[in-house]
Amino acid sequence: MSNNNVNMIDIIKSKFGDKVQIQMGLLGAAAITASNGLHREILKAMIAADGKTGITAITGLDLGATIGVYYHVHTSNVFVTIKTEVPKENPKIQTIVDIHPGAVFHELEVADLLGVVFEGHPTPGHFVLSENWPQGVFPLRKDVKANEVKMVPTPSSEENKNLENSRLVKIIIGPQHPALLEPEKFAVTVDGETVTNVEPRIGYVHRGIEKATETRTYLQDVYLVERICGICNACHAYGFVGAVEKIMKLDVPPRAKYLRVIALELNRLHSHLLTLGHAGLEIGYESVFQYFWRDREPIMDLVELTSGNRVYGSLMTVGGVRRDIKDTDMPKIRSILKDLRGKLPFYRQIYENEPTLKLRMKDVGVLSRDDAIKLSVVGPVARGSGVDIDVRKDDPHEAYGEIPFKEIVYSSGDVWARMNVRMDEVEESINIIDYALDHMPSGPFRIDVPRSVPVGEAIHRLEAPRGELFYYVRSNGTDMPDRVKVRTPTFANIPSFLKSAIGESIADVPANFVSLDPCFSCTDR
Amino acid sequence: MTDTKTWARVKSPWVLHFNSGACNGCDIEIVALLTPKYDVERFGVKLEPSPRHADVLLVTGCVTQQCAERLKSIYDQMPQPKFVVAIGACACSGGVFEGNYNVVGGVDKVIPVTAYIPGCPPRPEAILDGVVKLLNALNPPKPKKQPKQEKPKEIAKPEVVAQSAQPGS
Repeated sequence: MSNNNVNMIDIIKSKFGDKVQIQMGLLGAAAITASNGLHREILKAMIAADGKTGITAITGLDLGATIGVYYHVHTSNVFVTIKTEVPKENPKIQTIVDIHPGAVFHELEVADLLGVVFEGHPTPGHFVLSENWPQGVFPLRKDVKANEVKMVPTPSSEENKNLENSRLVKIIIGPQHPALLEPEKFAVTVDGETVTNVEPRIGYVHRGIEKATETRTYLQDVYLVERICGICNACHAYGFVGAVEKIMKLDVPPRAKYLRVIALELNRLHSHLLTLGHAGLEIGYESVFQYFWRDREPIMDLVELTSGNRVYGSLMTVGGVRRDIKDTDMPKIRSILKDLRGKLPFYRQIYENEPTLKLRMKDVGVLSRDDAIKLSVVGPVARGSGVDIDVRKDDPHEAYGEIPFKEIVYSSGDVWARMNVRMDEVEESINIIDYALDHMPSGPFRIDVPRSVPVGEAIHRLEAPRGELFYYVRSNGTDMPDRVKVRTPTFANIPSFLKSAIGESIADVPANFVSLDPCFSCTDR
Repeated sequence: MTDTKTWARVKSPWVLHFNSGACNGCDIEIVALLTPKYDVERFGVKLEPSPRHADVLLVTGCVTQQCAERLKSIYDQMPQPKFVVAIGACACSGGVFEGNYNVVGGVDKVIPVTAYIPGCPPRPEAILDGVVKLLNALNPPKPKKQPKQEKPKEIAKPEVVAQSAQPGS
C-alpha cells in the first residue's frame, strides 16, 4: 500500500511541481493545496493514472474571508484531499462534473448550503433546502444564525405542467408513499411502462445537523450525529469519534477497538436483515419480510445487551466505549449468533432457488462495473457490480486489520447480486463477532480525554452497512467543532439508481430502489 | 349505531404512518410492531397506505420545513373522526433537533395531537401501550348508559400516555 501511496503523490509532484503544495498525512495520505482550475487538472491526472479514482465527498466550509472547497478523492489504494479556496464575494469555481459524473450531487449540495457557484454545472433551485427557504441565505456560512432565518411563502410548483401534448407521463412517488418509509420525492417519467427519466428531490429529512454540531460540545455532538440515522447509528457515532481522536492523536485501548468492532458488526447485521426483509416486501413476497424481521429481533436484543438500548446504544465515546461486555454475557451472544447462523442456509436457498423472487430480481436494475466506478458508488451496491471496495480492507479501522474475513464481491450488478452480497455479509459479520469475542484483549475499555480539542482537521472513513461513511471534522481549539461534514453512503448511491432505472419497467422501480438500501435520514442529515 | 361505530373503530383502527423528518429509529420500531414478535395486528391495527382510509395518523420526526406543509395536507385528507399520535421525542417536542434552521419542532405546532409517546426511540412495547391506551380512551368504561362521546375534541387534551422504558446505561 505504501509504495502505491508514494507513486500517486509522486505523479502529482512531478506533473504540477511548484504549482501545488503537498502536506503528507493530513486529510488522508496527503492534502494538496491547489488554485481554482488546477484542481481539475489534478483530478484528470489521477483518473488517468488509476481507473478506480472517484470523488468521495466535496466539503464546503466557511474560512472567514474565503470559502474552502475540499475535494476528497479516493483511488484504488490512496485517499487524498485537494484543497481550493474561492473568495466569499464571488464564490465561483470550475465544475468537475464533466470529468467525473459522480460529483453531481456533491456540487449541488455545496451550492445549496454555501452558495458556491460551479461554473459549467447549472444548479437550478434548491437541492437540499426547502422551497420556502429565502434566496441568498446559505445556512453553513458562519454569519447565518440557525434560529434567525425567516422563511418566505412557497412559490407555486411548476413541475407537472411541462408534459402537455406529449405521450410521456410523469408519476410522482413521494413524499408520502406506501413504498417509502421516509419522505422523499422521485418524479418518474414513463413512456408506456418504460421509465425514461427519474428526477430526485431530496431534503425532506434535512434537519441541519452539520450546522447544529457547531453550537454543541464534542460530547454532545457524539449523541447528535448518532441521531443522523436510526439504523447505522453506531457507525455515525464512531465516524465522528474516530475523526476527533485523529485530531487529538489519541490511541484507543485494544479492548475498546474490539468492542467497537462488535458494535459496528451488530449494526451491520440488523441493518442487512432489515433490508433483506424489506426487499421481500417491495416485490410482494411478504413471508420473506416477516421471516427476516422475526430473526432480526434477537439481534436487537443483543444490541440492547451490549449497549443498554435497542436502537440508540450510545456506546461510542471519544477515547473508547462507554461500557464493557461482561464475561457472563458472552455465552448468550454466542448462542444467539449460532441460531442465526443456523437459519442462513434456509434464507440463502430462498434467494437462490425461489422462482418468483428470481424473476423480480435477476437482471433487474443492472449497473455495470464501469458505471459503478464513474458514479463513485459504494458499499454492497458497488460490490454487487464487481468493484472490490470495502473500507474494512482498504483502510482498516480499529481491529479490522487483525480480524480475518472475506470481502464479498458479485459481478452481475443486478438487484439479486446486491441482495446476495448482503446475505453473505451477514455470515461474515457473524464470523467477525465470533472472532472478536474469542480474541478479546483484556485491559481498560476507555481512557480519559480533555474536553477541548487542539486546532486541526481530520477525516475518518469507515464501512457502514450501506457502504463507506465519511467524516470530516475541523477543530478551532475550543470545546466545539468548527465544521463537521458527513458524506453518507446513500448520498453516493442514489445516482446509480437514477442511471439503472432508465429503460426498465416502472414495476421494477421499487425492487431496484430498495436494493440500494436507501436511507434518507442519512442522505439529508 | 354509535355503539357499532365505536366498536368498529376500537376493534380495527387503520393507521397511517408519516415520517416528518425522523431518523428512521422510530419508523423501524413501528415496522417492528407489525412483525411476528410484537404483532400489533392482533389488536386489529392495520397499516394503511392512504390517508383517506386512515383513522389514526402516526407521526414520527421533528417536522422539517418541507414536511410541515405535507403533514398538514395529509391530516386534512383524513376523514373525521381522526386521531394523531406523536411518536418519539422529536415528534413530541423537536428533540435534539430543536432550534435547527430547517426544523419546525414538534407535530403539535402543525396539527392537533391526541397522544404523545416519548422516547428516543420509544420501545415497541411503549408504542403498543400508547396505541392501546388511545383505543381505551375511545371506548371508556361507562357506569351509566349514555351515548358515547365520539368527537376528537373530548379526548384531544394532550397527555403523556406511555413512558418509554429506558434501561439505565
